[in-house]
Amino acid sequence: MAEAQGRKGDRTKRPSARARSTPKSSVRLRRLLAAVPYIVRHPGVRVAEVAALFGMQERDLVQDLNLLFMAGLPPYGPGDLVDVEIDEGGRVWIRMADYFSRPVRLTSSEAFSLYLRGKALLGTPGLEEAGPLASALDKIEASLGPDALSRLVERVRAQSGAGFERILTVLRRAADDHRRVRMEYFSASRDELTTREVEPEHVFAAMGHWYVVGWDPAVEDERMFRADRVRSAEDTGERFEPRGLAGPERPLYSRSEEDRPVRLRLGPAARWVAEYYVVEDVRETPDGALEVTLPTKDLPWVAKLVLRLGGEVVALEPPELSPMVRAAAARALAPYRRSRSGDD
Amino acid sequence: MHPLERLLNLVALLLDTRRPLTFEEIRRQIPAYGQGDAASAKRMFERDKDTLREAGIPVELEPTDVWDVERGYRIPSEQYYLPEIAFTQEELWALFVAAHTPGADGEAEIAFQKLSSATDAGLGAVLASGARAPGVDVSGPHLTAVSEALAGRRAIRFAYRPLQGRPGRRTIDPYALVFRGGNWYVVGRDHDRRDVRSYRLSRIRSSIQEVGESGPAPEGFDAASHLEAGPWGLGKPAATARVGFTPRIAWLAVAQTPGANELRTRRDGWVEVEVPASETDSFVSWVLSFGDDARVFAPRSIRDQVVARLEALASGSADG
Repeated sequence: MAEAQGRKGDRTKRPSARARSTPKSSVRLRRLLAAVPYIVRHPGVRVAEVAALFGMQERDLVQDLNLLFMAGLPPYGPGDLVDVEIDEGGRVWIRMADYFSRPVRLTSSEAFSLYLRGKALLGTPGLEEAGPLASALDKIEASLGPDALSRLVERVRAQSGAGFERILTVLRRAADDHRRVRMEYFSASRDELTTREVEPEHVFAAMGHWYVVGWDPAVEDERMFRADRVRSAEDTGERFEPRGLAGPERPLYSRSEEDRPVRLRLGPAARWVAEYYVVEDVRETPDGALEVTLPTKDLPWVAKLVLRLGGEVVALEPPELSPMVRAAAARALAPYRRSRSGDD
Repeated sequence: MHPLERLLNLVALLLDTRRPLTFEEIRRQIPAYGQGDAASAKRMFERDKDTLREAGIPVELEPTDVWDVERGYRIPSEQYYLPEIAFTQEELWALFVAAHTPGADGEAEIAFQKLSSATDAGLGAVLASGARAPGVDVSGPHLTAVSEALAGRRAIRFAYRPLQGRPGRRTIDPYALVFRGGNWYVVGRDHDRRDVRSYRLSRIRSSIQEVGESGPAPEGFDAASHLEAGPWGLGKPAATARVGFTPRIAWLAVAQTPGANELRTRRDGWVEVEVPASETDSFVSWVLSFGDDARVFAPRSIRDQVVARLEALASGSADG
């Protein structure tokens, strides 16, 4: 998993500052005015369902509903107030709230934010929800008018190999239902194709790739896999107890105690390596090259990286890396030499 | 009286009224504004008005009569309510997924809530079944600022650090936003270079500054074609190459490469694949990235370049 291992997660961290404890009045108003029409349309809906759907704590929702119960129109007599009823079973009814029975139109930042995310999801290969998402976005576009959103985002169809969607579906279902999968996986860092059983807890996409996080009973440790390197996956039907492994918010790269420093000199055309992977001790040489240290557990993928970059990268450390690169190049050359007699 | 209760009463009153209400009239109707002196009540009302506007509620100031002597406030219902859109349950779930991507701000979530509130389809059963939104990270820095400039047809200026080449300030007419390979790009016409270029948002090193109006995109503009990329590099592929892969890796090479086609399995077990190509370093590098699991059969020119690179690496002359 070369890329999963050393790749930089340059996703932006947003502060989770939308404090749940004391939301601002405007935020509470927005949420409440969004939730009320839902309750009006679904009489007797569970408070828990409304809270989950509208991202509120049940306690906060009940508190706000109790305030709604005091609101209405002048002269605020019993017949002028909104009628809110919550029963012992945690079900809720709202009546007498005609003016709050439909939600407020979208602000432009609300519309942009949802629309951009939706469009980006359509550019993520292998997403099961792509079909309904495309039609939902078309409906939003049509409803908001041609000028509001149209052509804001070019839809780029990302291609993916046949069967990849099927593998993703197997993995997502298994993670949702806590069932163990047997999979064939190509590990780029170790340069080997292996078959293993994994207890998948999360399937998510970041930086253009899908990842699976799961427990590998054979090594008794958690592992992160790139879903596009899974050759086959089948549900074993065997259930497991999730261990609460970290999901999508986890860093894509974490240091390992087994990491060893690999020192590389990068020429101008290879400087992207310093941006793409997590590197340390960056030093600019007088001739414009960049010397960096790349911490990693496995050397085979680094040898391939050097091979790929040809003369643009020099392997400085560890000493066994250079011979590895030379040997890999010689192995890759062998079939060309054999076929010189005219095999094709 | 709790501020939320006061705000709810204000919305109800201004929505319900047929003619604009002056502050004096509002003060007489809503008890919370009737307490204390007029000046502090007015200040409270001004703050509340801002809060409503922040929440996307259109509070309009209009003349109360044709002589325009006095002005009053009203929330026009035709501007207040979200138009009804009928979503299926599958569509609603897909929007839930979009609103709950990692790093999503509260804006997308509220947009989803309003939309789901205006439709009869419900997600209760889906959520109760324990279904989880797949965490697809589609966040990007400066996304809001760029999308607003794009929608408002404004030119933008920012500091940019390209992968190769000199960092510096760029001024562009934004034409489109494109999400590819986990990254957001803005495609637009660069004022100084007088050409269409693409910029990755994560390489922007300053805030986005709006600098006047933006020219329209040319007729038939296709942003995706400015970002066409593959093993052949940027732009359109110039040729087709025939590359062999060992069976342990062929499936992966085909799946990861746009336009790749499996042709046949040779007698020696190697899998022959047709790949869009050009005689560029990036194509040669792509072949080399598979090490001894790949070999080029044709065209001869690319095959020779690969062999030359490998010979240099094997002899150590390229390495040191």
